[in-house]
Amino acid sequence: MAVTVIIPTALKQFAGGQSEIEVEGQTVGEVLDRVTQANSDLRKHLYSDESTLRSFVNVYVNDEDIRSGQRLDTPVKDGDTISIVPAIAGGAATEAQVAERELPKLSNQEIARYSRHLIMPEVGMEGQRKLKAARVLMIGTGGLGAPLGMYLAAAGVGTLGLVDFDVVDESNLQRQIVHGTKDVGRPKIESARDRLSDINPHIKIDTYETQLTSANALELFREYDVIADGTDNFPTRYLVNDACVLTGKPNVYGSIFRFEGQASVFWAERGACYRCLYAEPPPPGLVPSCAEGGVLGVLPGIVGAIQANETIKLILGDGEPLINRLLLFDAWRMRFREVKLRKDPECPICGPRATIKELIDYEEFCGLRPPTATTQTEEKPQMEEMTATELKQRLDRGDDLQIIDVREPHEYEIAKLEQAKLIPLGQVVNRMSEIDPQRETVVHCKMGGRSAKAIEALKRAGFAGRLVNLRGGITGWSNEVDPSVPKY
Amino acid sequence: MIKLSAHHLAEMRAHAEREYPHECCGLLVGRIEDEGRTRIIAATHPVANEFNQTALTLAFGAGEAGAAQADGSAAEERQHRMLIPPLEYARVERQYSQRGFGVVGNYHSHPDHPAVPSQFDLEHLAPWPTMSYIVISVRQGRTVDVRSWELATDRTRFNEEEVSEGV
Repeated sequence: MAVTVIIPTALKQFAGGQSEIEVEGQTVGEVLDRVTQANSDLRKHLYSDESTLRSFVNVYVNDEDIRSGQRLDTPVKDGDTISIVPAIAGGAATEAQVAERELPKLSNQEIARYSRHLIMPEVGMEGQRKLKAARVLMIGTGGLGAPLGMYLAAAGVGTLGLVDFDVVDESNLQRQIVHGTKDVGRPKIESARDRLSDINPHIKIDTYETQLTSANALELFREYDVIADGTDNFPTRYLVNDACVLTGKPNVYGSIFRFEGQASVFWAERGACYRCLYAEPPPPGLVPSCAEGGVLGVLPGIVGAIQANETIKLILGDGEPLINRLLLFDAWRMRFREVKLRKDPECPICGPRATIKELIDYEEFCGLRPPTATTQTEEKPQMEEMTATELKQRLDRGDDLQIIDVREPHEYEIAKLEQAKLIPLGQVVNRMSEIDPQRETVVHCKMGGRSAKAIEALKRAGFAGRLVNLRGGITGWSNEVDPSVPKY
Repeated sequence: MIKLSAHHLAEMRAHAEREYPHECCGLLVGRIEDEGRTRIIAATHPVANEFNQTALTLAFGAGEAGAAQADGSAAEERQHRMLIPPLEYARVERQYSQRGFGVVGNYHSHPDHPAVPSQFDLEHLAPWPTMSYIVISVRQGRTVDVRSWELATDRTRFNEEEVSEGV
């Protein structure tokens, strides 16, 4: 009484590579006993104990489920086919996830290194192993990223990802303590990687010398457990927030300006996100960057260390994280304040009726670039620009140019172009009459950003003369023409 | 390890997004190599999600019916449950057997949940440790994460496996 047993592809290796086996037997149970006799592994995969099939194992005689017959006692006859087929069900459940990564073990060297953590029950061996298993992505290796990276490395966070495309500049060293004087001119991620692996050679450091964009953020974030935002501009901040919400990752946020800092943990699954707090970015130019407004060097040290603290707690899964809490710090008055945050039910990215379902153009969102559609219809003329080298040539030729400096007076004190007239950006429209529309006018600031805004404002106000932006600002002048002009 | 092509990944993502907010499911067809450690995917085979309590009871036997509580309509349940009927599995095995392929894994989506197997998945998703189990996280209609898992030999947990593109 030969019966054919069809073996599922997934179990063929336990049946000598065969997909069909011919055996004799009177009942399904007898046939399966014969088939599995030779191979205990095959039996283990079909039976939960001596005589019970696993719950997901369906057995069909021809196309009849043996559950509707006499189960393993179902009789078989010559020429019958017995198929073994698993049932499959699945689903996102609310129950605890069971796919916890197996925690890595600590070497004796690591145990010695982390002993001050290990003796605290709040961290302990398990916590330290969680830290070793953790993957943290740091956006930026500047003021905030410096202490953040150094403390996370020292704490034994197993994998640190660094995203930055900037180069170490002398003006960074006042606060970005991960970089040294010898690193000036090097890519920041290289300099930071060297310093961090010197602090802790047991950790892995992934470097991404690239700008974080809507095109690469999701893919990058997916690889990490926690994202720490150490950026200094609004487009990237919204990008980090949105990408964190879309990938379900916590965003450990910090920001600094002059003497004031903020920190929070934005984690849409458990509380407010950055957009719940700030639905819209401020108008461009209203909030100056650190390059424009300055920053007390120690401030990012404090705020970045708070970010490191919060990141470590998230990894340990304990303590009271800064979720739904915004910490405000004033270094000048030395005060900490805390503001309660609430998830905004109308939040466009993390609310129940979210309208943002993918990453957008954040430069445009923050008003730093006009929407692409309107530039075509309005035929906006391109802003005229010249480089510092070109300006120098024109001046040497004796061309009649007036130069307007739209920076602040204290910046003017640090460095200036001799021929320039100072009219700060905030006053440029009111003092338009001081600019002669008959003469060609070159407008400059520190880097070229504020001067572009000044030109736009003047044009909107009806200024009729020719306005040319100095590309790269006075910094470009120092780089290209006259290194005796200090850079700041 | 699972080896598949960008095309397979794109198909699964698109399927998951099409079904959102419901779960999608499908079978992975291909070959198993390295004594059960590597799956080489030849095709993805979408399956209509036929989850309901009766189907679950039929597929897993009466003893398992209580595992998923009947707490909503079938449509609501399909938002967080999927089921691949055994007969469909058998049909796909037959369909590809002449080409030397068979079912070597499955995929399903987790709408608004991470691409990590759940407790329910541990009990129902994974017949054997020789297979690959892909979970696709879809948030607000968009695929944000695709991860592949294999079942530990003691069946107590899933381990994430390497996804190698380029077949």
